[in-house]
Amino acid sequence: MTDEIRFEHISMEFPGVLANDDISLSIRNGEVFALVGENGAGKSTLMNILYGINTPTAGSLYVRGEKVTEFSPKAAIDRGIGMVHQHFMLVPSFTVAQNIVLGREPKAANVLFDNKKAEQLTRELVAEYGLEVDPSAEVRDISVGLQQRVEILKTLYRGADILILDEPTAVLTPQETDELFEVIRRIVREKQMTVIIITHKLYEVMAISDRVGVMRQGRLIGVKNTCDVTERELASMMVGRPVLFDQLEKTGEPGDVAIEVDDLYVSDNRGLPAVRGVSLSVKQGEVLGIAAIEGNGQSELLEAITGMRKANRGTVKICGRDATGKTPGEIRAMGLSHVPEDRLSTGVDRAASVADNLLTGRHKEKRFNLFGFHQRRSSVERYAEELYEKFDIRGAGIRTEVGSMSGGNMQKVVVAREFSFDTPVLIISQPTRGVDVGAMEFFHTRIIEKRNAGAAILLSSADLDEVFRLSDRIITLYEGRITGEFRADAITKEQIGLYMTGTGEGAKA
Amino acid sequence: MKNVLAWIRRHVNLGYIAAVAVSIAAALLIDAVILLAAGHNPVAAYRELIVYPFSTAAHFGNMLEYAMVLCLCGLACVVGSRVGIFNVGGEGQLLLGGLVAAFVGSRMSGMSLWIVIPCAALAAMATGGLYAFIPGVLKVKLKVNEVITTIMLNSVAAFVCSFFATSVWKNTRFNEGIDVSEFRFATLIPGSKLSTAIIGSALITFFVWYILQKTSKGYEMRLIGDNPRFARFAGLKTDRIVIAAMVVSGMMCGLCGMFRVYGAEKAFISTRVSNEYYFEGLMVAMIAQYQPIPTIVISIIFAILKSGAMGMQSVGVTIQIYWVMQATVIFCMAAQSGVMTAIRKAGERRAAQRDVAARKEGGAAHE
Repeated sequence: MTDEIRFEHISMEFPGVLANDDISLSIRNGEVFALVGENGAGKSTLMNILYGINTPTAGSLYVRGEKVTEFSPKAAIDRGIGMVHQHFMLVPSFTVAQNIVLGREPKAANVLFDNKKAEQLTRELVAEYGLEVDPSAEVRDISVGLQQRVEILKTLYRGADILILDEPTAVLTPQETDELFEVIRRIVREKQMTVIIITHKLYEVMAISDRVGVMRQGRLIGVKNTCDVTERELASMMVGRPVLFDQLEKTGEPGDVAIEVDDLYVSDNRGLPAVRGVSLSVKQGEVLGIAAIEGNGQSELLEAITGMRKANRGTVKICGRDATGKTPGEIRAMGLSHVPEDRLSTGVDRAASVADNLLTGRHKEKRFNLFGFHQRRSSVERYAEELYEKFDIRGAGIRTEVGSMSGGNMQKVVVAREFSFDTPVLIISQPTRGVDVGAMEFFHTRIIEKRNAGAAILLSSADLDEVFRLSDRIITLYEGRITGEFRADAITKEQIGLYMTGTGEGAKA
Repeated sequence: MKNVLAWIRRHVNLGYIAAVAVSIAAALLIDAVILLAAGHNPVAAYRELIVYPFSTAAHFGNMLEYAMVLCLCGLACVVGSRVGIFNVGGEGQLLLGGLVAAFVGSRMSGMSLWIVIPCAALAAMATGGLYAFIPGVLKVKLKVNEVITTIMLNSVAAFVCSFFATSVWKNTRFNEGIDVSEFRFATLIPGSKLSTAIIGSALITFFVWYILQKTSKGYEMRLIGDNPRFARFAGLKTDRIVIAAMVVSGMMCGLCGMFRVYGAEKAFISTRVSNEYYFEGLMVAMIAQYQPIPTIVISIIFAILKSGAMGMQSVGVTIQIYWVMQATVIFCMAAQSGVMTAIRKAGERRAAQRDVAARKEGGAAHE
């Protein structure tokens, strides 16, 4: 095998941050190379250099032995490099074929868009690479897994033989992930393509890659043959210290029921039914996990429980008191706190300081108010300083604007605030989305601490591993209905995957 | 001494002050070209612009009175925008407040000043507040765009005022006017419009600043303005606070109308009580980026420019030229925030480059 890509002493500096620090790395022709590292380790920056989005501050890049002088996505595409971003760049109202040819459309009579030709070209691609997809289907109607396939086909249409995949499995079910890996293996084996995959999930590295590079704080810590390392070793390399993954000790017996949802119906933003008759209950000292593919009603369900959304029918009880139709403030007063799905839009005030964000909800307490109205900044800052330490928030201090922090630290601000209320009920949604391995470990420990201390926790996460690790019981949601309920230790991820797609036994009923 | 400097550096945004100064200078440079093209001597014109407001006590008093109006209107806008509601209806709230205050005064003839003035002030605040309550409730409960409703309510108020002041409530021999000269605020500078109402304005200004910057209520308002979804999520009673802020904004405008009637004009005549003053106050608030203290400072700058325009007229610069100048000043000040961001980014880029260079040198020294 020959070197397909060579980074030589590449450095990339952004104002105040050295995102890539003197990186030298060779990627071979026809291999699957995994790039892992915590958030902000510089993986995406390095790949953006390869794809021409960033121009490195220092160092050189060689593709097939040729030194790259012009850094632009267009030049990269001409060099045969294709990239599939984490967030798809597809036009939802266009068909699959239209999306694939976008930018290089076949023309009839040199001006008109030739839809037939586009679909024919797509069919040829589909046949050549064995990536089954319907060319005339509109993208908004097809599943996320298929949309990803369209993204891959798009790069192939443009003649890519080096494929960069940025966290490709973040949005996929286990079955879809398996299919994706099958596709990757096939294009590498049959078409001699080179695939670089950026990921957080170490078992995927083990499953798909030939070699793996670990990045930390802008540096390349090491490159290994995948068969020579274990997941644990990789995790330690990423974080820079041993990661103790399986020391989550669950203790205590479940107590009284604290969350009770009965026959709940909720609509989504478009007014269409999203939750259709869900009933569940969570006891104190218990974690109930919701396993569902995005858009199957889990967001609306949690919003209805916390009062952020109106339910059409059904009841919600928190600690035995009726919470149906109450405002978020009233429900919080019943003993609930909430780590919301989208921290940016719901969980923080980005323009406010860390201290102000940590204070929210407690700002009326006596210790922060003189005569009941004058805000005592010194008490506020002392309190914020305490939480800042306790939750290991890292940044430029409590006066920093929250909006300028990294995703992981922002999430720590949210979790620090919500967990500090010490309520008997916790609703947690996507606790570790976009959060690095070190912080993930931290959050998981905290959640289990709360559980062991007797909190009733309802957890929803797109990360199945997380659901499995934290939950005592798991329910699967499909199209707004509960399709199955299991003890977490009595079922496998693959089985759950079937229930999540409505094909499990429960769905037949 | 050192402590003082450190305090200034921490609490005063020197960069912002510099940017405002630069934007005014830029506007004056552009206007100099316009003045030259119109055949005026820009140096002489500018001399008048600066000197005139301070040339006599009366000029100075009128300038301060106008600054007071701008400041009250600007802060009324700030109070609304702090919770994310844009009160464009201050003009109507001001006029109606002034009208009702004048009506109250005209019906209390012969009573003590100490009873009439508070009654008129309360009536003005109630009217302004009520008139702002309508768009506030519509916005919160029915998601009706407050910009449209408040602008429309301005027209309603203007016509209502001119109707009442020219007919049923008229008590002068002129075409229009509700005379209240019996109960006016004491004049502070003889020959000018400046009255003791400015003391009331100063108190209100301080009060608004204090509430917004130093209290838990101000904190809640800021959260709502920044991210209403987060505020609701955190359990704040967002609807009530937004309506309350809108009402307070309207009360301030109403009171400002009462100050105009009982302080400066001694009568209610709609075109004299306010000539779109609220919109100038709104402009001030926007340029001040809805911060209370900059709003006060820019109110004074605007008042100086406006008063100076009269001085320029005395050396032959027509009012149209002045309007062009005022527009360029506003334009440059509004552009200032964008320019500042660009300057800051350029600075950061240079610092980053220096950093890389330093690192490389450091690295070379190691080898």
